Amino acid sequence: METTDEARQEAFERRIARGEKIEPGDWMPDAYRKQLIRIISQHAHSEIVGMLPEGAWITRAPNLRQKLVLLAKVQDEAGHGQYLYHAAETLGATREEMIEALLTGKAKYSSVFNYPSLAWADMGIIGWLVDGAAILNQSMLARCSYGPYSRAMVRICMEEGFHKKQGQEMVIRYARGTPGQTAMVQDALNRWWWPALMMFGPHDSESSNSAALIRWKIKTRTNDELRQEFVNELVPDLHALGLSVPDPALRYNAETSNWITGEIDWDEFWRVVRGGGPCNKERLAARQQAHDDGQWVREALAAYAARTDAGRSTA
Amino acid sequence: MIAPPHPALAPQLLALADDELILGHRDSEWCGHAPILEEDIAFANLAQDELGHAALWYRLVEQLSQARPDHLVFFRQAKHYRCAQLVTLPKGDWAYAMLRQFLFDAAEAVRLPGLAASRYAPLAETAAKIQTEEIYHLRHTRAWVRRLGLGTEESHRRMQAALDALWPYALQLFVPLTDEAALTAAGLVPAAAAMQQEWEALAGATLHDAGLVIPAGAEAVAQDRREIGPHLPGLLDEMQAVARLEGPEVGW
Amino acid sequence: MDTQWPRFEVFEQARPGQPHRNAGAVHAPDAEMALQNARDVFVRRPDCASLWVAPEAAIYSRTAEELTAGEAEAGDEHGPTQMYQVFQKQSQRQAETFVNHLGSVEASSPEAALRQAAEQWGKGAWVWWIVPESAITRSTEAEAASMFAPALNKPYRQPNYYHVQTQMRAVRAHDPDEDEA
Repeated sequence: METTDEARQEAFERRIARGEKIEPGDWMPDAYRKQLIRIISQHAHSEIVGMLPEGAWITRAPNLRQKLVLLAKVQDEAGHGQYLYHAAETLGATREEMIEALLTGKAKYSSVFNYPSLAWADMGIIGWLVDGAAILNQSMLARCSYGPYSRAMVRICMEEGFHKKQGQEMVIRYARGTPGQTAMVQDALNRWWWPALMMFGPHDSESSNSAALIRWKIKTRTNDELRQEFVNELVPDLHALGLSVPDPALRYNAETSNWITGEIDWDEFWRVVRGGGPCNKERLAARQQAHDDGQWVREALAAYAARTDAGRSTA
Repeated sequence: MIAPPHPALAPQLLALADDELILGHRDSEWCGHAPILEEDIAFANLAQDELGHAALWYRLVEQLSQARPDHLVFFRQAKHYRCAQLVTLPKGDWAYAMLRQFLFDAAEAVRLPGLAASRYAPLAETAAKIQTEEIYHLRHTRAWVRRLGLGTEESHRRMQAALDALWPYALQLFVPLTDEAALTAAGLVPAAAAMQQEWEALAGATLHDAGLVIPAGAEAVAQDRREIGPHLPGLLDEMQAVARLEGPEVGW
Repeated sequence: MDTQWPRFEVFEQARPGQPHRNAGAVHAPDAEMALQNARDVFVRRPDCASLWVAPEAAIYSRTAEELTAGEAEAGDEHGPTQMYQVFQKQSQRQAETFVNHLGSVEASSPEAALRQAAEQWGKGAWVWWIVPESAITRSTEAEAASMFAPALNKPYRQPNYYHVQTQMRAVRAHDPDEDEA
């Protein structure tokens, strides 16, 4: 029987190498648990904060179909946050703690949501680019070694399918629509292109990805690899639609078949990651407001449940 | 275009559609701001259901009048809308939102069986389709009304305040539209007065069990749906803003 | 005190006759709200015929690794018995759901229930969940239509509602001279 921590660690690594999922209750190194809580809760926070730039436009959707579609998309994002918080909870984090970490600014979330959504066409660009980038990341994570996170990602990947497509459909329509629509979608692309590229994180050379994350199947592809795949898929389609990528240095390398972008503004990237983005304060204030406004509600239902037959109240 | 069995039917259906649309719109304002994550998701379901119901009713209006649903929704001026004032009221707090939804869902529960028995087949079929979703709405909002009414002193106080404010608005749901009596006589829609009684019993039971008191001697806030109230113009300004950047024939 | 409410595990049956499978969990103040939340969180797309919920606190969970590594747990063998529902994770295949329902046993404790379950359903399980029947709240057949049919009316939640491949092909067909590089 493996009793020493070292022996346990070796057995743990062997399980993962064999393709086994680690489940709640199984032994795991502290570093694995802590890293996963951080990664998963950050992912959950991103989904929740991500509801805000799009949610703001539901009331202004320009036809019935788009109203329903956007509402369903934002609802899915809430659902994804829900599955991810649950995965983190199986590791011992509580939702109360995680929410507090988000609201006090201790927890990070994807910086892309710290940019404002200024026009309706942003919905199309966000769907195609931001959800498109997320899908690349998520497909990788569906194979991760921790069971609850892997399962949450499988469900998220299935649901995310329509998010990117509805965005792309909108961009296709507006790029070939009225002059006003074309201008609106080009402007949205101009503003979201670089934030979308930044979603993949720093260059590999600057990235502190540990060998452990790769071994634990949490990160199986590098930031630059994913970013390159994203750009290669997107640029030809944008060009085919007559849209221009806001990057004067963008060039096609025929030898490598890669679209090479200009350099990302890393000062901007770190400024926004550290809380200096245009909407950081606004996003957290909105979440804080919802949380505060909801306190009396949560307390009321807890009080009702405590007084009635616990777990078995009547409708 | 199907010849209508009665000229007042299209306006009646328009009113039903407008109620669902504006309520769905108000419900959608909560997405991302609900008291807990599970309810962000749940209330977004109700909002989608209501918008879906609106789309179904607008389609019936289109069959009778050739007016396209998106035109009706995005290019009609506030003064031509025929929703009850109840659905136009702003978000309010969670007690207000749940109670408004409950009062409306209870009205649907009472009205839809009557509509499902309409002599006009498309109307009957649409009502039957909507009924299935509304059963769940009533279950959801009834559970919330009960829990908030009985939960804590604060939740009870907020629910009673919401009820005091919303009851006169809810009464307007049963004020017959112009020519509605003729539609009832023709077997096209159920009788408003009988529905109101049934609704007061149904809603009243839940409210009473939740420890809430219905304001006595209340009257409907308006007798005519052409009195659109002060909130609809601002709501429509926002709702129609993007669509109106281009003409009604432009697709989005 | 302000909390996010306790957790209830959710079990979903896709079609009649199939086993219920754990889909995830919801936070809810009580069982009725848990059942409703389960429907809203997990049944937005087809198919679902039945939902069960049970408080997370009532579930006795053991992984194969925990059982091998740990001491044998005694548990009451002789007291009054109750029914326990037994769930098991049976394979390492990538999936959306976790443990599957196998059936029920009568036992005096969760530990005793697990021992019986292991005898009845073999020891090849990766994870066992033992759930007291008394802790489970189920959707009924009468309410199935209003609970689950509405998910069928939301085609816009499915990727096949959008036709970007067709549209991009049409876009490219209009620009035969389009130069990629």
